Amino acid sequence: MPRGSPSPVRPAAPGRAGGAGAGTPLAGPAPVGGSRRDRDGRRSERLAPYVLVAPAVLIIVVLRLWPLVLGVNFSFTGDGERNGAPVGLDNYTALLDDPLFRTALRNVGLLVLMLPIAVAIPGLLATFIYLRVPGHRLFRSVYFFPAVLSPVIVGAIFNLLMAYDGPLNAVLAHAGIGPVDWLGDPHVAVFAVVGVHVWATFGMALVVFLAGFATLDAALLDAARVDGASLPQTIRHVVVPGLTRTIQFVFITTMIGMLTSMFGLLYVMTGGGPEGSTYLPEYYIWVQQGQMNRPALASAASTALFVIMLVVGLLQISVLRRVGRDD
Amino acid sequence: MKQRALWSVILIAALAVAGCGSASAPDSESGGAGGKLVVWDWKSGEASAASYIEKAKADFAGKHRGVTVEFVAQPFEQYYTLLGAAIQAGKGPDVMLFNGGGQMRDRVDALLPLDEYVGEDKRRLAGWEAFTKDGKIYAAPVTLQGHPIYYNKSLYQKAGLDPERPATRWDEFVAHCAAITKATGAKCFAQGNKEGIGIQFFLSALGSGILSAQEYDDWIAGKRDWTSPGVKRVFSLWKEVNDQGLNNDGANSTAMFNDAFAVFQSGKASHVIGLMSDVGHWKDFAEFLDAANVGVMRSPVVTAGATPSLPYDGGIGYAVAKWTKDPKAAADLVRSLTSTDALKSFYADAGAIAADSTIDVTGAGPAVATIVSGIDGGKPALHVALSSKTVELMGRLSQQLLSGSVTVDEAMKQLAASDQAG
Repeated sequence: MPRGSPSPVRPAAPGRAGGAGAGTPLAGPAPVGGSRRDRDGRRSERLAPYVLVAPAVLIIVVLRLWPLVLGVNFSFTGDGERNGAPVGLDNYTALLDDPLFRTALRNVGLLVLMLPIAVAIPGLLATFIYLRVPGHRLFRSVYFFPAVLSPVIVGAIFNLLMAYDGPLNAVLAHAGIGPVDWLGDPHVAVFAVVGVHVWATFGMALVVFLAGFATLDAALLDAARVDGASLPQTIRHVVVPGLTRTIQFVFITTMIGMLTSMFGLLYVMTGGGPEGSTYLPEYYIWVQQGQMNRPALASAASTALFVIMLVVGLLQISVLRRVGRDD
Repeated sequence: MKQRALWSVILIAALAVAGCGSASAPDSESGGAGGKLVVWDWKSGEASAASYIEKAKADFAGKHRGVTVEFVAQPFEQYYTLLGAAIQAGKGPDVMLFNGGGQMRDRVDALLPLDEYVGEDKRRLAGWEAFTKDGKIYAAPVTLQGHPIYYNKSLYQKAGLDPERPATRWDEFVAHCAAITKATGAKCFAQGNKEGIGIQFFLSALGSGILSAQEYDDWIAGKRDWTSPGVKRVFSLWKEVNDQGLNNDGANSTAMFNDAFAVFQSGKASHVIGLMSDVGHWKDFAEFLDAANVGVMRSPVVTAGATPSLPYDGGIGYAVAKWTKDPKAAADLVRSLTSTDALKSFYADAGAIAADSTIDVTGAGPAVATIVSGIDGGKPALHVALSSKTVELMGRLSQQLLSGSVTVDEAMKQLAASDQAG
């Protein structure tokens, strides 16, 4: 049997190589050719899944993982005069020595501590809407409205409202309370910015809560009402237990929102100030890279932020998994 | 199947390679050849610079008939990034605009020394220091940037003070401010330190009234003594001014651009440390207060023996790239761009103090005349000599000084450490 036989075989199975044996034997003894095609077919069947996932894997590797590796690698090189030279862990020690970066990390911790408030507000308001307080239809749209505004616009509005000689302080003065330098006092500014962020984003969480309420068993509420439960009792014993999963979901999404999308507000409202008290890691990265021309230090900070997010993400996954098991 | 796999691999590889492609290359070719010069800047696209460019082009056409000039206006936010890429590639514009100081000094390796071409202009133009490195000139100044103290003459009048004779000593200045506040309710300084810029302006505007001439020159030359009483006085005065209520309320939450300027323009403060060119300057203020009411004063003498001067540097200037094919023509274009005629248009339309001291500025009001008269005896601004890292730290410390969460001594210690680290 001549070795160069495949070419006359080809036309017999143009489409699926897997259909071995189905082709009419055009050349050579049928059994030999058949087993060969069989082998080809099995191999391509083995390869097929890899080929099919290749685009996705390549995109992730080339556009995500490879840049990530480059970034981490870059964080071990120097800036300025030591541009490109390996400096070991110098950038990371510089980060830990930098009071600004420590403030940024402390502020992350502060955000985590304020998370329950950021979740309780939309939860409570959604409860009121669900329990049909008068005007609940109006409130539903009013509460959602800020969620459609961009952080830049929200920041600009609150810059005016919270200015030292702005309307908020004017109202406080009427009430006999001294002016508060909302954005100029380092102890107040971070709370002011987080407060504005919560105001601007709680509409989304509210909608999620309302969706959660839709799954709540109305019979339970009616039963509670018949039993003469007060509003706080209804919330404590009926609403909250029924919404455990929704509450957990809102916790996670709110956390992500706080850690990743406050840049616009910070940029517009405080610029990291006063006294660097409102720095968050992403703002710090931007300043080091764009303003201070220290890209390697910025990538060290990015790596640190990545690790933080990784830990937070893993915690969230484990929480979600536990919730899934409870089901 | 195999063929399909092959194709998909090729397709993916092609996509990946295309995706990896960097931003598009600078859109203009290296010029000089074929009688064409390419200029990069961020000004020529503005309407207010049109007649300036027109006049410079006409002047150049008179000298080099066959050479065409193309202006490419880049967005300022990306200007130095784009320029950095062009410099790395070793090709790009023949002539380019720079901010004076660090931005240009960092890139002199790519620039042509202009000393042999601009000799005639040296006396006519001011601000060369900002475009000089190691004794060589790399760009010719177009505008000057500095920090005059502006004051509102009508507030002086309302308080019964002579607006033509502003205070020359600090105690006198504080007394004037008190009189104005009493008569009109206006604060002494419009101060914006939200971005930490207020301290930069304060340091440069009042520095010559606090430091001795020797100390001042040493500071500029890089020999900064952060423990000296003069330097310490700058920062204790900064705190004192705020503690005594001379600043508008909430200085730490007021943005210099442009809330602080708005405070001055609306007559709520009698003084502001502004700029000479671009924004926050005589032309902006004159729109609200009327040119005749905008005054400019030297720093009051805070420490006996100091001689106040106008702090200014070269603002922007044109440089020639090393790779240009016809250096003579490119240098001549720079000279055309800094010709008296062209700069006159720039000063009048764009609201900038031009580098040319022979331009007649009497028509623009007393403020400009006072500024221009100070150019001869002026000195480089103090904060411009600091590294961007130290300036950033100074901004933060200045906010802490105002809020009282750091002492002057502690601030000086941190600044000294940052300044010495480079």
